[in-house]
Amino acid sequence: MEFSLSGNGLKTFSRCITCLARIGNELAIEASSSQLEFHTLNSSRSAYQSITFKPGFFDVYTIFGAQVKFSVLVKAVCAVLRTPIQSIDHLRVQLPDPDASKVQWTLECNNGMRKAYSITCNVEPDIQHLALDRNGFPSSLIVRPRDLNRLLANFQSSLQEITIIATETTSLPSDADSETGEKAVELRSYIDPTKGQLVSCEFTNDLNGEYLTAVLLTVDNDSSLHTQLWIDPTEEFVHYNHVGDPVDITFGVKEWKAFVSFCESCEVDIHLYFEKAGEPILMAPKVGLSDASGSNFDATLVLATMLTSQLREENPSEQPQRAASIPAQAVRQKEPQAQPESSHRATASEHPSDQTKIWSDLSGSAARSGSAAAEDRQTAEDRNLSATDLRQSQRLGRIQISENVPAGAPAASRHHNREKGPPEEAQDTPQVNDNAFSQRHPSNWVDATEVDDDDDDDDEDEMCIQSTPPYCEEH
Amino acid sequence: MSSSAVEPEAADLVCQLENVQGMVDSLSAVRWKRHQDAVVELSEHGIVLILEESNCLQAKVYLRKELFAQYDYNAEERPRFGVSLGLFVDCLSTFTVPGRASAIEIRYPGPDMQLLLKSLDSSDACIYAEIRTIIPDTVSWDYNFEPAGSVPLSFTVKSAALKEAIDDLEWPGSSIRINLKPAPPSVSFRGEGHGDLQIDLMYNVNSDLLLDFNCNHPVSHRYKYKFLRATTSNLPSSVMKENRGSKLTIGRGGMLKVQHLVPVGRAPFPNPHVIDSASHQQQPGRIAYIEFFVKPEEEEDDNRND
Repeated sequence: MEFSLSGNGLKTFSRCITCLARIGNELAIEASSSQLEFHTLNSSRSAYQSITFKPGFFDVYTIFGAQVKFSVLVKAVCAVLRTPIQSIDHLRVQLPDPDASKVQWTLECNNGMRKAYSITCNVEPDIQHLALDRNGFPSSLIVRPRDLNRLLANFQSSLQEITIIATETTSLPSDADSETGEKAVELRSYIDPTKGQLVSCEFTNDLNGEYLTAVLLTVDNDSSLHTQLWIDPTEEFVHYNHVGDPVDITFGVKEWKAFVSFCESCEVDIHLYFEKAGEPILMAPKVGLSDASGSNFDATLVLATMLTSQLREENPSEQPQRAASIPAQAVRQKEPQAQPESSHRATASEHPSDQTKIWSDLSGSAARSGSAAAEDRQTAEDRNLSATDLRQSQRLGRIQISENVPAGAPAASRHHNREKGPPEEAQDTPQVNDNAFSQRHPSNWVDATEVDDDDDDDDEDEMCIQSTPPYCEEH
Repeated sequence: MSSSAVEPEAADLVCQLENVQGMVDSLSAVRWKRHQDAVVELSEHGIVLILEESNCLQAKVYLRKELFAQYDYNAEERPRFGVSLGLFVDCLSTFTVPGRASAIEIRYPGPDMQLLLKSLDSSDACIYAEIRTIIPDTVSWDYNFEPAGSVPLSFTVKSAALKEAIDDLEWPGSSIRINLKPAPPSVSFRGEGHGDLQIDLMYNVNSDLLLDFNCNHPVSHRYKYKFLRATTSNLPSSVMKENRGSKLTIGRGGMLKVQHLVPVGRAPFPNPHVIDSASHQQQPGRIAYIEFFVKPEEEEDDNRND
């Protein structure tokens, strides 16, 4: 197999490699007479990227035999492309025969240097193939990378996961609420309550003194910035389509940002297809009609989403699972574990934007709403299981656990344990009233349902946080 | 011989340099480690600095007296002393002023055998430095570079390209083999580690990459990467900007000599504080010569060419 690239094709190729390098470690290459495909999977198996090149993308593309499959380390390919692209005349990649142990990447530089890299390749890569049909997704949006970067800039740069809540755009007649009603999409930071700082580590032996059990107690990193952003899709997105019930998807930011940078450098819009929590999302560059080269290459990124929906309340008895599943192997799905907060929001209006539930765990309060208690008790106890047990409890075949999550149990629980001290056991749920659930009165949030007015109502609710500085003295 | 015996002891050397940045550049080119001790030799021809590492790598910086605006050498025997290179370069850097040339005077020895530096720029302020020197305990090993045969084996390549190639050769993580072939005339650098990389430089009339090439029989030798790296790791940017070339020569036994030319720029305007006694108005370029000597790695089979 041999292919050769120069000029703009080489620039695009280099951007592809950069993006792949930000996703995974191993690059699987499949060459057939009709196309060349690169794909990679990230280490937590929650992101899969695939880039397909048609033979016309290359200056030269020859393949001997039916199909060639091998894999290389992405880092090695990055080393090849360290030379500035503008000083490269052309790149030639050769695999002498299907069983060769090394693949040759040769750069002819403008200044006359020839650099021949011989990279070890693995001829039996174990990266699965994943193909999702774009048309199978009910909802989608198209956004310009520039706009998306601007929106993402509102979130802390160290954010690891983000939730998109999509509601149906309503065509309300213009009234006082209509301007707020059009903010049909919400971006919300997702802070995994299980990821935190290790507070203490306790070792115990079993009775025979044989096995050592470690109990790792972690608490939340409460210093994270939580951000919510309500967007009017008609303003921010080039296209937005979602009908039906509100839907939320939570997925990793790092791979998303890699793809956004990639689309930005290629100057194409991002097409994002989604369905609902737990189902993977698909992203692809939106090939415009004017983009001639777009027909020669295509890229897709599949991200797994959290099974747990942030919106709905469902069967709380099952232990909520932290999900990251690539649905190629998806068999059955657990019922998404919901935030048992609906009681809190019972009085909320039926405006779609209210589905973007407002919650706050930013305080040190251990307040919990009643219905959550049972689950929390369970999850709190689960915390006290040994770390290994917790990991094993999640070990359903296809559930992939993101590296940093020590335990899947309390993922859905918003009422995570507080920073000081051991995880709290069952909270005194009966005493807790719903208002105490959040120290911040909902009306403090710039809710989509509200017109921006001064928080006059807040003074009346003793649970509210005064606007700072407290100009509103008690008159 | 010092005739102006106003001072009880005339200094062995008093020299004035118009632009200290040039000296900083040339000395920086031989910095490849944090802590290096240089041996400085003063003579009527100029100043030479010698550095060594593990008996495998030696570097020399030649600052000919013509580079200096003034060079008064009064010693009878050539003074030799040791000084910490990093300290010396950092100290010289403090005399540099961004944007304009700064002139200094270097004097040796001070009352306690120090190296004395003094700024010459301003009439109302003075920067003054003393650097302690040490008696060098080792004699600089003369690498005794000899030509490999009657015809030298050498090539001259753009310094920037050489640096780029050596930087790329870090990836394989192995020692580097340098091959010279007379037909077709080419140089190649090859590393075989966890991956292989071969960088070929072809010599032809059109290419301005290889500026010169002399080779009448194939030659191949291996060198440790870190020593090869040391020869280009700190080349000053002025070398790249002026598009200079570096000459590599393979001598007897495979000893590699790498030579760079570092511009020691002249002040754009004549400095009124410096007495410009040397006649260098028509000097084509004021250059400091940098030489590196790298010993080859032992070959298992010793039937390679010289």
